[in-house]
Amino acid sequence: METEIRDQPAFANILVKLSTGDRIVAESDAMASMSANVQMSTRWNGGVITAVGKRVFGGESLFVNEFTADGPSELVLTQSWPGDIKEIELTGNTLFLQPGAFLACEPTVRLGMGWAGLASLVGGEGLFRLKVSGRGKVWFGAYGGIFVREIQDEYVVDTGHLVAYEPTVRLKVALAGGIFSSFFSGEGLVTRVKGPGRIYMQSRSIGGLAAWANSHLW
Amino acid sequence: MKHQILARPAATIVRLLLEQGESVTCQVGAMIAMSTGFEVETTTRKKGGGGGIVKGLKRMLAGENLFINHFSATGDKQNITIGPGMMGDVIHHRMTGGTLYIQGSSWLASDTGIDIDASWQGLGKAIFSGESMFWVKCSGEGDLFLNSYGAIYAVEVKDQYTVDTGHIVAFEDSLQFQIGKAGKSLIGSFLGGEGLVCKFKGQGTLYCQSHNPPSLGKMLGPKLKPR
Repeated sequence: METEIRDQPAFANILVKLSTGDRIVAESDAMASMSANVQMSTRWNGGVITAVGKRVFGGESLFVNEFTADGPSELVLTQSWPGDIKEIELTGNTLFLQPGAFLACEPTVRLGMGWAGLASLVGGEGLFRLKVSGRGKVWFGAYGGIFVREIQDEYVVDTGHLVAYEPTVRLKVALAGGIFSSFFSGEGLVTRVKGPGRIYMQSRSIGGLAAWANSHLW
Repeated sequence: MKHQILARPAATIVRLLLEQGESVTCQVGAMIAMSTGFEVETTTRKKGGGGGIVKGLKRMLAGENLFINHFSATGDKQNITIGPGMMGDVIHHRMTGGTLYIQGSSWLASDTGIDIDASWQGLGKAIFSGESMFWVKCSGEGDLFLNSYGAIYAVEVKDQYTVDTGHIVAFEDSLQFQIGKAGKSLIGSFLGGEGLVCKFKGQGTLYCQSHNPPSLGKMLGPKLKPR
């Protein structure tokens, strides 16, 4: 299987070239187009209970699609919003993804759900998070560009901008500044992340787009 | 007419260079900037040709404008910059006879020799393909520019190819498509979020868009204030 992320960063999509027997798992509705000899089968996103949990608490889909190649073929995967896509190779380690960020993975990768905590909920990131672990490649997407930062100590991220982080990273919600500046500076609540570990952030947020669109509707 | 496509795929524009006597037909509102040596003519029909109001009305049903603009260069080395209203890609397609079916609102500009019509896609396809009820139908010879939300990629179909509904930009008439289910089982196809797909057959060029507006709308809609 060969993959290429095209049209970065505004309209990133993945071109997957498959050989006979190759398989790839993708988020519901991620397929844009594919060769006729790719078979698509739908399964629960984890077990039934995990899937329902992910849907209700994690903002993920109930089902994922598995694509299997009957011969040399291609598949194009995409996401709902304009933005970048990142590829990560897991080698036994774990990564937490924010709701909606997961796009695709190799079938050897395990998709689980983890409790993200109240801090995450208050920070606008959801009570649960998707946990990807095992070995193999994972692709996740964002609205806007994706940028990475290795943090050693504490670091501050605006709500709605955190996309993925390593399990060694802890989340805490805090005010951006004092009470006054927090509410009048437009920053409000922020997420304080504590390392060491790597975090992935997006350069725009859907909340920001909605606020902008709302201010222009009449 | 020479062309140059810039700022792909998010904010794409096309720069066209025309010599005296050459002209180009553009979608209403596509012109962003141009040099002063152009004569502009707005009609409902192909430049200097037939068609008239009926074709114009059909084009409207396909999601295009009733009127089209013709820009004719009155001097040498005249340039015009065109682009679509929304963010997204533009591609160039060279027509050498034959017909290209284009999704409504994706026709941006073409050589004046290309005929721009519309055709009804059939009831089943109209309801399920995720496209407008009518296709814009271009035939003839010359340069053609297509635009869409998302990046546009070309697929050379040899035998069969599947496209998710709402991702077709254009296809040559040597291809036909049928609406089918994405997976083996119908229920699975819907639960998997893919539902119905367009299954192409034949040999020819197919253009697809990487993103589609309804997916963004579905996510953004609930966050918008009621109007």
